[in-house]
Amino acid sequence: MNAERAGGVFWLIFGLAVVYGSYKLELGTFQAPGSGFLGFLAGSFVSLLALVVLLQTFFDKDKKGSLSSLWKDSKWRRPATVALLILVYILALERLGFVLTSLLFMLTMFKWVEKLTWPKAVMVTLAVVVCSYLLFHTLLKTSLPQGAWGF
Amino acid sequence: MEFFGNLLTGFSIAGTWNNLFFCFVGVFFGTLVGVLPGIGPLATMSILLPITYGISPTTAIIMLSGIYYGAYYGGSTTSILVNIPGEAASVVTCLDGYKMALAGRAGPALGIAAFGSFIAGTLSLVVLQAISPALVTVALKFGAPEYFSLMILGLVVLTFLTEKSMVKALMMAGGGVIMGTVGLDNMTGTSRFTFDIPELLDGIGIVPMAMGLFGITEIFLNLEKEIQRSVMAGKVKGLLPSYQDWMESKWAIVRGSAVGFGLGMLPGGGGVIASFASYAIEKMSSKHPEKFGHGAIEGVAGPESANNAAASAGFVPLLTLGIPVGAVQAVLLGALMIHGITPGPMLLKEHPDLFWGVIASMYIGNVLLLVLNLPLIGFWVKILKVPYGLLFPMILFFCLIGAYSVNNSTMDAGLMLAFGVLGYLMKKFDYEPAPMILAFVLSPILESSLRQSLLMSSGSFTIFVLRPISLACLILALVVLGLALLPMIRKKREEIVALEDDIG
Repeated sequence: MNAERAGGVFWLIFGLAVVYGSYKLELGTFQAPGSGFLGFLAGSFVSLLALVVLLQTFFDKDKKGSLSSLWKDSKWRRPATVALLILVYILALERLGFVLTSLLFMLTMFKWVEKLTWPKAVMVTLAVVVCSYLLFHTLLKTSLPQGAWGF
Repeated sequence: MEFFGNLLTGFSIAGTWNNLFFCFVGVFFGTLVGVLPGIGPLATMSILLPITYGISPTTAIIMLSGIYYGAYYGGSTTSILVNIPGEAASVVTCLDGYKMALAGRAGPALGIAAFGSFIAGTLSLVVLQAISPALVTVALKFGAPEYFSLMILGLVVLTFLTEKSMVKALMMAGGGVIMGTVGLDNMTGTSRFTFDIPELLDGIGIVPMAMGLFGITEIFLNLEKEIQRSVMAGKVKGLLPSYQDWMESKWAIVRGSAVGFGLGMLPGGGGVIASFASYAIEKMSSKHPEKFGHGAIEGVAGPESANNAAASAGFVPLLTLGIPVGAVQAVLLGALMIHGITPGPMLLKEHPDLFWGVIASMYIGNVLLLVLNLPLIGFWVKILKVPYGLLFPMILFFCLIGAYSVNNSTMDAGLMLAFGVLGYLMKKFDYEPAPMILAFVLSPILESSLRQSLLMSSGSFTIFVLRPISLACLILALVVLGLALLPMIRKKREEIVALEDDIG
């Protein structure tokens, strides 16, 4: 699919969804605008401009790049893996506690994503996690999740 | 006399050991994150925000502002030595700064960047100090319609100045306004677009959104390409620019300061636009435009002066009108609100110690930065030599801690990731995040001023054209929109886009 068109379709759907959601929220009147008033205006604005982008793809010859061309020659698996790891870190943070989750997360990043040797990966992970724990928890008194183990 | 009296009051506040220490902490961390690509002043301010809960509001703002303008100083170092901008505002410095470094003139390039930044920073502080009290008088005449029209002008100016496609930029601004409406409606108490998630009742936080759209996105984009960083080998020598360097740079610094200050005061202006505008002006006014891009010292002096002047100028609308011109100022506004202080026209009257103390601290901060940047250049170069593979997991980790610690909520960390992915996709599809974040920041003021105006006028939109200040803002916005359609301006915009692409 044409990349430009795909982007236009996404923002058109987004804009129309906001228009619908704002309408449900109550638009009010010009004399007394309701909660959905600004959302309705902004959603209509986004939808209208998305339509312009969409229409341009039919008339502008420069905008013919396909979706796959956006990731051609790029190592897209690396950001995708890191995004997934961050998600796992966030989900595990309050269950396992800051120290354990961070140790596992950083070790995976250094060993698996960045391919450091085991001794280097372990050393850097320990240094970063311990130092940040001391800095944020002990020194700055930031409240970090404790988990079942109390750290 | 009042000018010096106020300055003296400010120095007596900023000069206490406590404030000096926090000013140093701010500019040190600012320079550090400016040097490191992928982590910006916003993430650092967010991470250090919890410290400010236990200190006075003046001290807090002194430290946070130090991070902000310090990052602009540090950003030039990576542009010149590695050809990778530490900060978006230093992108254009790569063009001639790196070429100077390749020609063995890294020292003068770094020197003129630091001195230019210092001179511009100081000049703009003098102007800031001089015009702020006068602006407060004007600001007191601002009502809801004027605020609304000013916001519209800011958004239009941003979309005109920064974007490849103005249609897409306006669309992103609309998206930002929508994101800003998430949460409880302040006027009716209705929850909007929260999808029954309690954490969203307070709305989307500026910190996770900005860290996601800028910090995380930057990391994702860097990860999918090989980063070749070749830091200048050997010692950087001769940091003091020669007489000829000064002669070639003096007007670039003056013009850069003026352009930076002017653009920095506009919502959405900021250092990035100021530096690009300054570069374009220098190239246009130079007798040897062919030297630009091949190591012209004016190409370093102008943009570096402009971005630092813009950093100081951003405080004018924040302190006098209570309007944040960007995400960083929004965090500063948030920090003030935490201490129960609302920035705006009454700030100068109610908290003169904070107002003048912060301004005076910036004079001190600029001197500290000059001291930090020149003799310690070897230290910053060493930091630059840390491989990106080691650096990015740490930056990511600190961003996660920063996002979590604002509200002690994993929801904020999740939002940061979501905005990181959104920002990555936006970049891929050629949509810029800057208009979105600015519109998001301005959305609450935009909404309340629109609704209040319509209540005042019993539903008539003519209120926006019947009041002179409001009308002037709207006419200016229309002029800017009209300008975008002129063939000559369109061509210039395309040239700037091509320039950005060359660097990127």
